[in-house]
Amino acid sequence: MVLNQFVWLVPLLPLLAAAWIGAGYVAGWNRGESGERQTALVASGATLLSLLFILALDILAMLNGAPGQLDFGTWLASGDYRVQLSFSLDALGLSMATLVVFLCFISLRFSVNYLHREAGFQRFFMVMSLFTAAMLLIVTAGNAVLTFVGWELAGVSSYLLIAYAYDRPTATANATRAFVTNRIGDAGFILGIYLSFTWLGSVEWPMLNHGVDSIETLSVGLLAFGFLIAAAAKSALVPFSTWISRALEGPTSSSAVFYGAVMVHAGVYLVIRMAPVFEHNPMLMMALAALGVLTALYGFLGGLVQTDVKSALMFAVTTQIGLMFLWCGLGWSEFAAWHLATHALWRGYQFLSAPAHMHMMMRPNRPLRGWLARQRWLYTAALQRFWLDHLADSLLVKPSKQMSKDMQNFDERIVNRFIGLPGSASAVSSLAQWESRHRGDTRVEGDTGDIGHGRGFMGRAMERLASLFGWFEEHLILRGGSEGLLAVIQHLGKYVQHIENLLVQPRYLLLMIMATFVVIL
Amino acid sequence: MYESTFPWISLMIISLPVGAALMWILPSRYARIVALVTALFDLMLTLSLLFRFDASNPDFQFVERHSWIPTLNIEYAVGIDGMSVLFLPLTVLLFIAVVVASWNSIRTMPRLFFTLLLLLESVTLGIFCALDTILFFLFWEATLIPLYFLISLWGIGPHRRYAAVKYTMFMLAGGVPLLFGFLLLAFDQAGMSGGVPAGLVFDYVTLLNNPIPGELQTLVFFLLFIGFAVKTPLFPFHTWLPTVAMEGPIAIAALMTGLKLGAYGLIRFAVPLAPKAAVEYHWLLAGLGVTGILYGAVMALSQSNLRRMLAYSSISHVGLVVLGIASFNLQGIQGALFQLINFTIVAGGIFLVTGYLHHRVGSTDMVSLGGVARTMPLLTTFFFLFGLAAMGVPGTNGFPAEFLILVSALKTHTGAGLAALFGVVIGAAYFLGYYRRAFLGPVQSGVVADALDIWGKELLIVAVFALLVIALGLYPAAVLDLTEASSRAWLGR
Repeated sequence: MVLNQFVWLVPLLPLLAAAWIGAGYVAGWNRGESGERQTALVASGATLLSLLFILALDILAMLNGAPGQLDFGTWLASGDYRVQLSFSLDALGLSMATLVVFLCFISLRFSVNYLHREAGFQRFFMVMSLFTAAMLLIVTAGNAVLTFVGWELAGVSSYLLIAYAYDRPTATANATRAFVTNRIGDAGFILGIYLSFTWLGSVEWPMLNHGVDSIETLSVGLLAFGFLIAAAAKSALVPFSTWISRALEGPTSSSAVFYGAVMVHAGVYLVIRMAPVFEHNPMLMMALAALGVLTALYGFLGGLVQTDVKSALMFAVTTQIGLMFLWCGLGWSEFAAWHLATHALWRGYQFLSAPAHMHMMMRPNRPLRGWLARQRWLYTAALQRFWLDHLADSLLVKPSKQMSKDMQNFDERIVNRFIGLPGSASAVSSLAQWESRHRGDTRVEGDTGDIGHGRGFMGRAMERLASLFGWFEEHLILRGGSEGLLAVIQHLGKYVQHIENLLVQPRYLLLMIMATFVVIL
Repeated sequence: MYESTFPWISLMIISLPVGAALMWILPSRYARIVALVTALFDLMLTLSLLFRFDASNPDFQFVERHSWIPTLNIEYAVGIDGMSVLFLPLTVLLFIAVVVASWNSIRTMPRLFFTLLLLLESVTLGIFCALDTILFFLFWEATLIPLYFLISLWGIGPHRRYAAVKYTMFMLAGGVPLLFGFLLLAFDQAGMSGGVPAGLVFDYVTLLNNPIPGELQTLVFFLLFIGFAVKTPLFPFHTWLPTVAMEGPIAIAALMTGLKLGAYGLIRFAVPLAPKAAVEYHWLLAGLGVTGILYGAVMALSQSNLRRMLAYSSISHVGLVVLGIASFNLQGIQGALFQLINFTIVAGGIFLVTGYLHHRVGSTDMVSLGGVARTMPLLTTFFFLFGLAAMGVPGTNGFPAEFLILVSALKTHTGAGLAALFGVVIGAAYFLGYYRRAFLGPVQSGVVADALDIWGKELLIVAVFALLVIALGLYPAAVLDLTEASSRAWLGR
């Protein structure tokens, strides 16, 4: 087929649109309100072309059968690690691509009026085009690495749209949180890719799905586990669920495609794509089903107590995604794909029409269900979103920040002193600050500039040695015995106590566990 | 080995001091123009070298040999192979960027400044081309003189003199084991043939082909390793980098983080000249590498100043390079070289943007920024793009390099690889954390509110870096094809 040879145009067209809009903004040919028309035309035009192209491929596929795996040469090669520029145009890939590009097109058209005269009009359309390209790459890519490329680009565009109103601190904080949570999933993805390279020698989807028969069940489990983390983070399954409710800061039309209709389903798509791998290991299937049930429950209970429309819709999405994972876990991946498609369409419509409904609604909110109101602890838990955020905060975020502070101290007090740099040099960043400190506005210890004293390890060591001899003479020899020694021992005791206090804190425990891992593996 | 008929490399190295000399004949106000023209001329030379380079040949090309100190067998020998060829145009590009970035911000003694800059460029190019250990050492130490004056005279921090002295002392201390290592190699060869001084061997290619016996290798490896680790910088020797980044001129900080000469030295000299010892102590390399990754990343989390944050993130990224070297497979070494090439583009670009910001706002500290995106959208966009590349997001040149290193590290040092994956997560956290507080949010200070966005020359040079970031990200084969033959030869030793 001639048309099949140009399938790479499908993700490329929106990407080019994004590049065009970005370059236009830098060069200044589409800024301001006068550039809106052109920007919208380029973005939706490229998406429309992609849509038409996909539809043509669909028709051809229905007549002649799906083309399957197409290969367009090597993208990245180093030794036996080769990443092909390949596309999977089977029934799943084609239908997903149609769905994605259709929803993105609808939402772009919607945004033309919705964002009229917004300051970030061009930015929005650029990021949306980038996102469309990324999503199309995820669903059409023929191997895990290309999917990963789309996966990360979708993450970046999600970050950019959550932080769309960049002068609102909550929006930017939520964007950062969402992106970093997704990064954890990305690490899992890389792990999965690496394991497929080592054990299967390829990352092409068909090879991956057929190759698992030849390796043992445990290895399959590990391999799929990496991808499962990635899918769970992207689709906001239970331990990662909270990022998605934080992600609603962006404009409505972007929330619709990102979190209502398209991106959130990427995880489900990945699991369906890898269904043969997951089906190989019953433990994993159970894990999938369990995660699905947990997420569905979380979404259901959380959704009951929401009071604003976007959050309520978001929890509904979480519930449905959980159900889809449950279907996958039960082995009904085709059913999950149907569920995905219908849910995406319906939810996309709901999100886009939500603002209009808000205008039309006059009734008060639906009251809380009676049975939930009676279970007070459950109600509180649902309101607090099961403390998942707090858990992540106290287990990961705070220890990392604390550790960073400790390291800083270590660097300044120990490494710097050992090597001999003045500690204060680092704290002052400009001459103006330095002057203000010299005038006495702020005091810095150790900035006295004593030239006679030794600096650095060697200088200090000589100085210390001299004073140690002096001290030794004075305390132990002249004064004799007990008093001096006792003081020394007490002093030592204090230090040991200090170290022990540090060690019982969770971050050091974590660090030690990680160090053990590094040593063992 | 392919000998060159025309001394391309010598012309490239010599043209810079000639340009510098020209500067002193012309009036002072032409200094920057002369510097730019000289650097552009050199860029053309390096690009023509790149196009004439035969990527399928793993040997050194464009080799020139002249006797220099015949009694000690020291030669003037230069040449390039697939591992070094890409560093030349990128180094020159980085220097061009530095010249452009210093265009308006250097007002005192511009002639001296640009002269020192060109001399520094000349010896840096020499480091990448030298094929004689003593010649290499000479170039290596010669970088200190211009750097000392550049930091101490044009630094922006209050402790700039101190930082300059400290930097010089550090590097001299690192130079001593380096020289000892090279001498040990030469004397060992002399012991086998002809005796001292007739049998002394300083020629890199000869040394490569005659590896020294096992026990001595360990000693040589450690001497060279310490010498290069100081410059890289690896974990316990890293503190000079944040200090220089804070005290020195931003242009120099760009050079320090952009050109990881220490890591290049590790790849070029320490590992191939003592291959058995290097393989034996791979855990040391991997351990220090992964310590660097995590240490730098965690430190970067709590920095409030952009320049310090970038210095620590650079320590973190160079740890990844060392981890790649330690894996001793094709993916690892190609990834490491790719990452080193990325440094020149990404770190150079990001420090350029930082320099522009500092020039406008007078600070790179989080407390005096905030809301930069409102008044300087283009500057913010470029900063974000370079940040994405530093995080290794696909579509930028950071991805293929980081991906190859991670995959190879997971293969050979699984634990270290997992820890590096963890570092990847923190990498996003510290960069986006700083970006959020300094560039997003409401505008807080009047200086930021009145600042102008980048334009003209500034925009042009940053756009070149940004295009390179994206081009190499979309078409990584450009780098991988060039380095493949030489990397295979490197692994063969």
